[in-house]
Amino acid sequence: MARTPRPVYTNHDKRTTLDDLAARVADGALVAVGGGLSSREPMALLRAMLRHGVKGLTVVGSAHGIDIDLLSGGGAISRSSESYVGFEQDFGMAPNYRRALESGIVSVDDSCCYTLVQQLRAAIQGLPFMPVRSVRGTSFLSLHPEYRQMVCPFTGEELLLVPAIEPDVALVHAQYGDAQGNLLIQGPPVADILFAKASRAVLATVEEIVPTERLSELGGVTIPYFYVTAVSEVPFGAHPTACYPLYAYDRRHTALYYEAARKGAGTFSVEYLSVFVHGVPDHADYLARIGGEKTRARLSSWCDGPEAWKRLYLDEAVA
Amino acid sequence: MTTGCTLGEMMIATLARTIEDGTLVFHGFGSPLIQLAMHVAKRTHAPRMVLVAGATYGVNPEPPFLAPTTNDWVMDRGASSSLAIGELFDLAAAGRMGRMFLSGLQIDRWGNCNVTALGYPNITLKLPGGGGGCNLSCDAAYVTLWTTAHRSPEDAKGQRRFRLVEDCDFITNLGHRTRDGRTAKELGHRGNGPQWLVTELGLFDFDAEGKARLIAVYPDTSIDEVLENTGFTPGLAAQVETIPAPERSVVELIRRLDPLKVHEKEIRAEDMRRGYAIA
Repeated sequence: MARTPRPVYTNHDKRTTLDDLAARVADGALVAVGGGLSSREPMALLRAMLRHGVKGLTVVGSAHGIDIDLLSGGGAISRSSESYVGFEQDFGMAPNYRRALESGIVSVDDSCCYTLVQQLRAAIQGLPFMPVRSVRGTSFLSLHPEYRQMVCPFTGEELLLVPAIEPDVALVHAQYGDAQGNLLIQGPPVADILFAKASRAVLATVEEIVPTERLSELGGVTIPYFYVTAVSEVPFGAHPTACYPLYAYDRRHTALYYEAARKGAGTFSVEYLSVFVHGVPDHADYLARIGGEKTRARLSSWCDGPEAWKRLYLDEAVA
Repeated sequence: MTTGCTLGEMMIATLARTIEDGTLVFHGFGSPLIQLAMHVAKRTHAPRMVLVAGATYGVNPEPPFLAPTTNDWVMDRGASSSLAIGELFDLAAAGRMGRMFLSGLQIDRWGNCNVTALGYPNITLKLPGGGGGCNLSCDAAYVTLWTTAHRSPEDAKGQRRFRLVEDCDFITNLGHRTRDGRTAKELGHRGNGPQWLVTELGLFDFDAEGKARLIAVYPDTSIDEVLENTGFTPGLAAQVETIPAPERSVVELIRRLDPLKVHEKEIRAEDMRRGYAIA
């Protein structure tokens, strides 16, 4: 049975607090986390969700890293349908994610990027499924008994049908938005546009809320307002991932995170969660804890040129 | 003057040679050797190659340096356009992607790769996952496989955990043949599957049946060393050649492209000592 159509969100003013956004993510929800790898992850919102104690989430996505690892380490996930979760060659495998999935606390429901794209496209178009030619012959069929094979009635080709994925909520961090919820993403949108269109609700944080006319000057709207449920201005809301052009990837903080995570669940809880998540009442305190203005200046120095940009990633920069 | 090169640079040059001019080529994330191989190819023998960067989906970028992570604005500077995620995978599904590079913690003789989990379904080690590799292994016209961890030394119990294995615990990326013996061709996939496998011990192609065949070793590795470190018995070319060192200009190009030596993160410590004379 098809679910009721996704609503359009027509309020003129959707501005709210970060805590209110976090409170809107229900236990057990199917969640699409925007951004990708070390870029534009909605990290402040994820930290706020952990402070609220959200549980039992299923996460879907393409290529992810510290976002899903943090949710794993914070005990918020019960199923992972991600395509990749890791810190690339920079730091390696995702320690909290690995522990959670190997222990069975989180069930393994891995997917792959194009399969996910097609499943989101089905939801966007209001269709129950989409076909793919690939995947047949791999072990994903045993992991996903919901996939179905069919013979194409036009060509006789064997195809795989993958069901629509309609996330309960998409969590997106954009550079700019307006009060109505129009969002402007600068640089690679990764799967955020698909997530926004396929999800029942979109909760957005932005670096800055600006007048609608200003969005046009800055490059135009990437995600129209009526997809968006609520928006909150959260500067530095993607830290420690990058949100160019405002700030680069904080490799130094990520190294600190990774070291705590690598040592084990207990150490991660003491050295990271209780310092940077549960140990700070709100995002303002988090910003102070990560070094305030000094850190902001360091991470915005990338725009001084390639030499300054490189310095952010040199080993010497890692404390 | 540059008089020698490293194993990493040898592998980058070898990987670059697998790219044809005039084709659309894509890389994933966590693979600086491949990023560099593509930029080397574009600037040497394959100027008409359509280079699509992984994660940013930038087209023909000219990054000022290689960044430690893939989805960084560093990596799409100078790109003439950017693709949407769906658009890139549509190109492959429609048969327009010439080559993709894939790897795995397990790779079998047919070129199947496991990037999902060891011990599946009773998982002992959860791997990061293959991103879009599963789809692209079936759809890309050709695949180049690579690994920097072919060598599998014996552990304290005298056992080896092979990278090149008899069977993958989970097939994330499809090679030439599934576990139940169906070929990728019989399945009707668009792609022709793995064409090359580049490791830190040697270079393989795939025979008419789709089985890996050793065709070359490095000046400092041997056929015996390859066989000892391989979990299956690979075919051997009638004449196993020596992998040539890159030209000096290529080595210098790699060093300009990767001043932070990001690609060395892919190379094991014991392989950092290996060096080769260049002409």
